[in-house]
Amino acid sequence: MAIKLNIPGTLTILALAALWELVVRSGAVTFEYLPPPSVILSSWRTLIASGEMAIQTLHTLRSILIGWTVATAIGVGIGLLLGLSSFARNWSLASFDVLRPLPAIAFLPLALLLFNFSLTTELVLIIYASVWPVLINTMGGVTSVASRLYDVSRTLRLTRSQTLLKIIIPAAAPAIVTGCRLSMGLSLIMAIIAEMIANPHGLGYAVISELQAMQPGRMFAYVLFIGLLSLALNAGLVWTSRHFLSGHRWAKNDHA
Amino acid sequence: MEGRVGGELEPIFECRDLDYSINLPTGPRRILDGITLDVYRGEFLTIVGGSGTGKTSLLRLLGGLTRTTGGSICFRAKAVDGPPDGVVVVFQDYSHALLQWRTVIDNVALGLEGRVVATTLRERVTKALEMVGLQHCASDYPWQLSGGMQQRVQIARALALQPEVLMMDEPFGALDAMTKAILQDELLRVHRDTGTSFVFITHDIDEAVYLGDRVIVLGGSPGRIYKSISIKLPRPRDQITSRQAAAFLAYRAEIHAAVRESTRSDGY
Repeated sequence: MAIKLNIPGTLTILALAALWELVVRSGAVTFEYLPPPSVILSSWRTLIASGEMAIQTLHTLRSILIGWTVATAIGVGIGLLLGLSSFARNWSLASFDVLRPLPAIAFLPLALLLFNFSLTTELVLIIYASVWPVLINTMGGVTSVASRLYDVSRTLRLTRSQTLLKIIIPAAAPAIVTGCRLSMGLSLIMAIIAEMIANPHGLGYAVISELQAMQPGRMFAYVLFIGLLSLALNAGLVWTSRHFLSGHRWAKNDHA
Repeated sequence: MEGRVGGELEPIFECRDLDYSINLPTGPRRILDGITLDVYRGEFLTIVGGSGTGKTSLLRLLGGLTRTTGGSICFRAKAVDGPPDGVVVVFQDYSHALLQWRTVIDNVALGLEGRVVATTLRERVTKALEMVGLQHCASDYPWQLSGGMQQRVQIARALALQPEVLMMDEPFGALDAMTKAILQDELLRVHRDTGTSFVFITHDIDEAVYLGDRVIVLGGSPGRIYKSISIKLPRPRDQITSRQAAAFLAYRAEIHAAVRESTRSDGY
């Protein structure tokens, strides 16, 4: 995967940042808590130099990776079961359809009551929110495996486990990977929200505490870094899935 | 023909009074009615018929992919209740029947994995690829190949299992005329070299005569065996001379008439 710099796009971003700087410095906009980009950048340097950024990032990153891994394991497991068994689908799909539209954040008070202000609360929220895309995509991927492939499996006299491992899972893999990417995005969102409200650690908590300390430069620096983290996580996942699914046609094309 | 045992033909498939119905929301619908048919060892049997006469259903029943709703099918004197060992089906829609995420060589190996040791596997896969002339694209993915080459991959995958019977459901139906002719000749060569029996479904009467030792005409709805014609054209056959032979044209005319009659009697 060659990284190509989008020159016109980058120039536009730089121009907008320059405009922001100009508008704030010239006093055209007087808004006390809107720091110019140069201030944000210098706060950013300070935070990195002091090691604060690293500490907060490590906490958030760890929560995201643990939560996402658990959610993916649960989602793929249940999704495969539901995809393979119409019996399981018939009995449980209605329950899932009731649970799924409830925003995970609505469970935050309940999670707080159960687990207090803790990492557990943060992880529970991340897992609950991000299990759905993997589960739904895995199930959809399995149920939409072309019926012809089942004929092929039978006429070649493959065993059940061969059919699962060599046909069903690879055929559903693109859908599963899509689910994993959606879940990764949700994991990050839920981690930040949970840290703002329910677990006083990490980048989300850092944003809130800089806000309360009236340090908009540092607050913006954290926000900017959350954006970069999101980009990096997505890129990492795209890169991994491309290697993992090297044979799939879509893996050759750009789906970033 | 190879299947002679002391002058007698040796049947490998024996169907007796086969019925097949499916359940539709509007009620049961009969697809096949009273099919009695033997397939002999080494024979190239072609089955023709209009659409909706149950050709594909008959092939699926023989291949063990569908269960009959009446009568019996035996393969080598054993009732068929799933795909029998030694019988492989090749489907018309090659793009759906191949694993698009596996290379050509890995597609061909699919049926052998976990069954034979690695050296045997490699040997048989290589041989199967050679039989259909695909050795040069072993590491390509199916979606990088033309339709004719993809169908060759599917045929090679079946051949790698060294089947006794190869079942083919309109395998060349989606291919252009030139590719079709080339693949027909490849199939005849495989038939001659391996002694594999073929059950080959087509709606192309010329193809049925060109390939077959025997042509069966299915007709009506539900489908019945309307006619069975032995094709006594000499082998090896040739796309130009065999198709110009007076006997070829006579067979062709006879089968055309039979297909037309079988559909007309049904009120189409």
